[in-house]
Amino acid sequence: MKKEKISEVIITYLILIAVSLVFFFPVFWLILASFSSSGSIYDFDGFFPKSYSTATYVKLFSDTQMYDYPSWLRNTLFIAGFSCVISTILVILTAYTMSRFRFKMRKPLMKTTLILSMFPSFMGMTAVYLIMINFNMINNLWSLILIYSAGAPMGYLVQKGYFDTISNSIYEAARIDGATNPEIFWKVTLPLSKPILVYTALTSFAWPWSDFILPNMLLKNRDLWTVAVGLTHLGETEFSRFAAGAIFIAVPIVILYFSLSRFLVAGVSDGAVKQ
Amino acid sequence: MKSSSIKTKCSYIIMGLGQFLYGQRIKGLLYMGILGLYLWYLFTSGIGDMTGFFTLGTVEADPWLGTEGDDSVIMMLRGILSFLILGAVIIFYLANIKDIKETERLAGSGKMLPSFYRSVLAFVDKKFYVVALFFPVIGVLIFNVLPIIFMILIAFTNYGGNIVPPKLIDWIGLDNFRQIFSLSGIKGTFVKILGWNITWAICATLLNYFGGLLLALLLNKRCVKGKAIWRAFPIIAYAVPGFITLLGFKFMFSYGGPINYYIKAMGGTSIGFLDIDAGWRARIIGLLVNAWISIPTSMLLATGILSNMNNELYEAASLDGAGRWKQFTNLTLPFVVFSTTPTLITSFVGNFNNFGVFYFLRGGLYLDDYFLASDTDLLINWLYNLSIDNNYYGIGAAVSLIIFIITSVISLTAYVNSSAFKKEDTFR
Amino acid sequence: MIRRKNRAGVVMLAMVLAGALTACGKSGATNNEASAEGGEITLRILENDTAKEKGYLDELLNAFNEAYKDKGIKAVDANMEEYSNLAENGPYGYGPDVIYQANDKLMAYAEDKHILALNREDFECADKIPEEAWNAFTLSVDGKQYTCGIPVNVQEPMLFYRKDLLPEGWESTNDSDSNGTPDFLEDWSSLYKYSEEIVNSSNGEKYGLVAPCNDLYMMAEFFFSYGGYVFGKGEDGTVNSEDIGFDKGDAAKGMMALRQFSGIMSEESLDDSIKQSRYSKVADGTYFCSISTPDTYVLFHDRLKEVYQNEGLSENEADEKATENLGMVELPSKMPSSGDLSSDEKDKDTIVMGGVNGYGISAYTENKEACIEFVNFATGYDMVAKRAELLGIAPTRSDVAGDIGGVTSMIFESLNEGHIYLMPSVKAVDQIWDPVGTLLSDVAKDAFREKKNEAVKYADENAMQTALESTSKSIYDAIYTLSN
Repeated sequence: MKKEKISEVIITYLILIAVSLVFFFPVFWLILASFSSSGSIYDFDGFFPKSYSTATYVKLFSDTQMYDYPSWLRNTLFIAGFSCVISTILVILTAYTMSRFRFKMRKPLMKTTLILSMFPSFMGMTAVYLIMINFNMINNLWSLILIYSAGAPMGYLVQKGYFDTISNSIYEAARIDGATNPEIFWKVTLPLSKPILVYTALTSFAWPWSDFILPNMLLKNRDLWTVAVGLTHLGETEFSRFAAGAIFIAVPIVILYFSLSRFLVAGVSDGAVKQ
Repeated sequence: MKSSSIKTKCSYIIMGLGQFLYGQRIKGLLYMGILGLYLWYLFTSGIGDMTGFFTLGTVEADPWLGTEGDDSVIMMLRGILSFLILGAVIIFYLANIKDIKETERLAGSGKMLPSFYRSVLAFVDKKFYVVALFFPVIGVLIFNVLPIIFMILIAFTNYGGNIVPPKLIDWIGLDNFRQIFSLSGIKGTFVKILGWNITWAICATLLNYFGGLLLALLLNKRCVKGKAIWRAFPIIAYAVPGFITLLGFKFMFSYGGPINYYIKAMGGTSIGFLDIDAGWRARIIGLLVNAWISIPTSMLLATGILSNMNNELYEAASLDGAGRWKQFTNLTLPFVVFSTTPTLITSFVGNFNNFGVFYFLRGGLYLDDYFLASDTDLLINWLYNLSIDNNYYGIGAAVSLIIFIITSVISLTAYVNSSAFKKEDTFR
Repeated sequence: MIRRKNRAGVVMLAMVLAGALTACGKSGATNNEASAEGGEITLRILENDTAKEKGYLDELLNAFNEAYKDKGIKAVDANMEEYSNLAENGPYGYGPDVIYQANDKLMAYAEDKHILALNREDFECADKIPEEAWNAFTLSVDGKQYTCGIPVNVQEPMLFYRKDLLPEGWESTNDSDSNGTPDFLEDWSSLYKYSEEIVNSSNGEKYGLVAPCNDLYMMAEFFFSYGGYVFGKGEDGTVNSEDIGFDKGDAAKGMMALRQFSGIMSEESLDDSIKQSRYSKVADGTYFCSISTPDTYVLFHDRLKEVYQNEGLSENEADEKATENLGMVELPSKMPSSGDLSSDEKDKDTIVMGGVNGYGISAYTENKEACIEFVNFATGYDMVAKRAELLGIAPTRSDVAGDIGGVTSMIFESLNEGHIYLMPSVKAVDQIWDPVGTLLSDVAKDAFREKKNEAVKYADENAMQTALESTSKSIYDAIYTLSN
């Protein structure tokens, strides 16, 4: 490709800076709020607190009598970690299968999942609650992992779209070499699907991370709450603690992103397995 | 089946017995085990669950007197479960019949019957899709299909209002639907909200989709250094849980928030961005806030997909002298649209049922011309008001069933006619 | 090939289903966690968050456990959300044994028998509590009256103001009846005029009263004082939720008064901003006063203390100064009957909305007797006095209220004299908040529309009356049209 002109480079960067500002500023404001020395957000001059301190963070982790943030964080990590792994496996497996294989039930399954996903989810919440009561899994972190992972394959379409762009000849070559289907999945498909794996892992990690309807319903004990549930129960004047809690749970996702980001663009065309 | 032997017939009566007699011991035992398990379940609780499904309970509980009564909703749920299990056992039975015929054919032609272990191995390879889809399907069945069936059935009961457990719930047929169509307030509200809901879903989907795509393309430009860093800004935005973002934005646009603070500091008068008169102002803020939340994900996705694109195509195109815009419309767009049409549809559905945005930004308003809703409420918010805030579970379920039918027809038609569904192999 | 399709799948499905079945079979039996282990009874107590935060719950539990050590009863924190729904958790064995919530919530449970009917005689506090408070916990079933909760304290909106911001020499200029209380804390018209004065003299930088205008609980005096009500009473004295009274009496006049007043408030009063900003804005003097519930006293106080600390006072000094300068009184007790706050009328008694918080006993507890012992202990003189001291609540026990005196006994008196309209104890109350809240914010907003020269919706009483009627009707619709 030709090199871009200087003027274009400048414009590109200007747009980038603007976009980054738009995305970063509200977050930056939350960060500022978390360092505000008074809890209330109404002590601000516009976006900026009148005075700063780190007391909120200290309180967040030490003042656990009412709001046991460290426990919430542990619970959330536990749930999100396990659901991330299990969902990613299930989603990738489903998407790959739906993309690669042709079988009688395939199109009906595709249509059914599409229709199922149209159903307003909270209408089914009562049923989910009753199921969990029936299975005796209230106040149990695994119940959430189960639900998140079980529901994840419904969102396979994105991943299937990705697999649809991988050339069949790659698989055929492997097949001729005598690989069985499980082997192909493991040794050929997975290495080829890093970008979409990253995408799937990130989104399925982030979902339990920010959901509060389900955990609010299934976790009754305060020390079993997730961060999202806990934050919604903070007192009304605890804004800086709210902000600190919110910022803090964003950190793992950002770390996850940075540690996975190099795979994100390592697509098929850049990879070693060019056809 | 002229010559069906006595062994084969055994399997018609007791599933797995025939296989056992043919010498396929493990398989036969497994089939019989399933049958045994099912019979045990049927006689311990299965029959009761099935009848309970139709009666929905006969004894009303009275906690004051200590009477343990029936819990209608639980009975309905267990009833559905028992029918699902029955369905599964029937599938087993049919499989057993097919299998015994095959076994008989193999035995009749004098071939060696495959050992259990080898047939499992062969199965995993040849029918990989069955193995792969097994757990996803089971999970979806229990945690998605079962609740949906439950909800659909609720639409045909009188659950809600004063009739909540421990009171017994009854089947009332189509009464809920009749009621919806006979009340003018509900009908008017429904039509108005549906119109706005569709507009919202289309605008939001396009905005998020193209916003993400353009951002991804921008970041993919050669001249951009430190892509990972630039990309991190949207990711940071994405990392903050959605409801927190929404509460943050609500505050930002509120009368006491920073935006009005600066307006006032510059001598203007406060603007009610989200208040009762806001109307379209609030709708547009909703769209933008939603875009802020969703664009990072769609950018991530577009980046992943773009990286899968063949750079040679571009090089060829630029040698041919195709302009930037031409490259975009002729190469990038078809490719990306192709591989993301399904995403477009899921994102359309997601936006159509986007509960959070207006619940957090502008919840708790019931406007004049609406029945228990406001002019920014989407159908799902209205459903929430109906069924959770006002306890009309039956009516809520009926409304959601209607919405469900409308939306699934729209999206199914769109999907089935899309190139991603029709010509899945275009880019292979 | 196809023949073998289902084999392995079938096996796995069987396992999963078997797992599901056993889990199902098991659950019915183990739902109720045995609370009586080794002869010791454990009671799970659900208290509110403030009680927990201020350490009252700990004191209560320790005192109870100390006293009942020998009887083998132990009370523990239920460790749940303060508003958790007993109807949702109780039947499945996840609810608390004893629950402390507001009367509308508790009585909604009572309607479906999720909490037990109790004998008043079982409780030592019974004759110390006024009938008004008991009524809030009385349920009538088939003509019989049942008491389903034990009242502990009354809640009503209070006026929080800054004593140090009173106008200089107010004793001579603003105390027409020279009773030692400024006029503007005694009647709404004077408060209006004083607020107007502040706004004008400060060029719109400062305000007099700024109250949450979209909050029915805080603004209900503009209905009730003028003859409006929530639900009517049937002939037998039971609540009749078919009779919705927001448009009754002269409620339209009251609404015009609200509209008038909101015109000189800050726009923050229109949305939820005020619910948090009032603490800071009263502390920094932007607002002279605001309206909130008594349990938020500490929030106002802490914010004010912070302001003083930033001015360089030591913690103790700031604390003292804040206590000295922060005033909490009942809302002004007179309103103008014409609904025109600029008149000098003060001829109508203010009636505010209130609630009674109390204890209920879950119908799903296995230790009813022990629960009664606990509630008895918690509603005894000592514990209620401690509660009042630590949490600043206004007890329903006459003896405690009398001994504490001050604002506490004032609230108690108001309840006695019928100046507090208690939230009706029926489930339908849930359905009034959003429609009326919307109407209130619309009425308040109307004053600002006028200022900005936009089209006004409520120019006169007739328009207001129509709006009130349509709101009452939509509440009726919400409650009745859909129920079968």
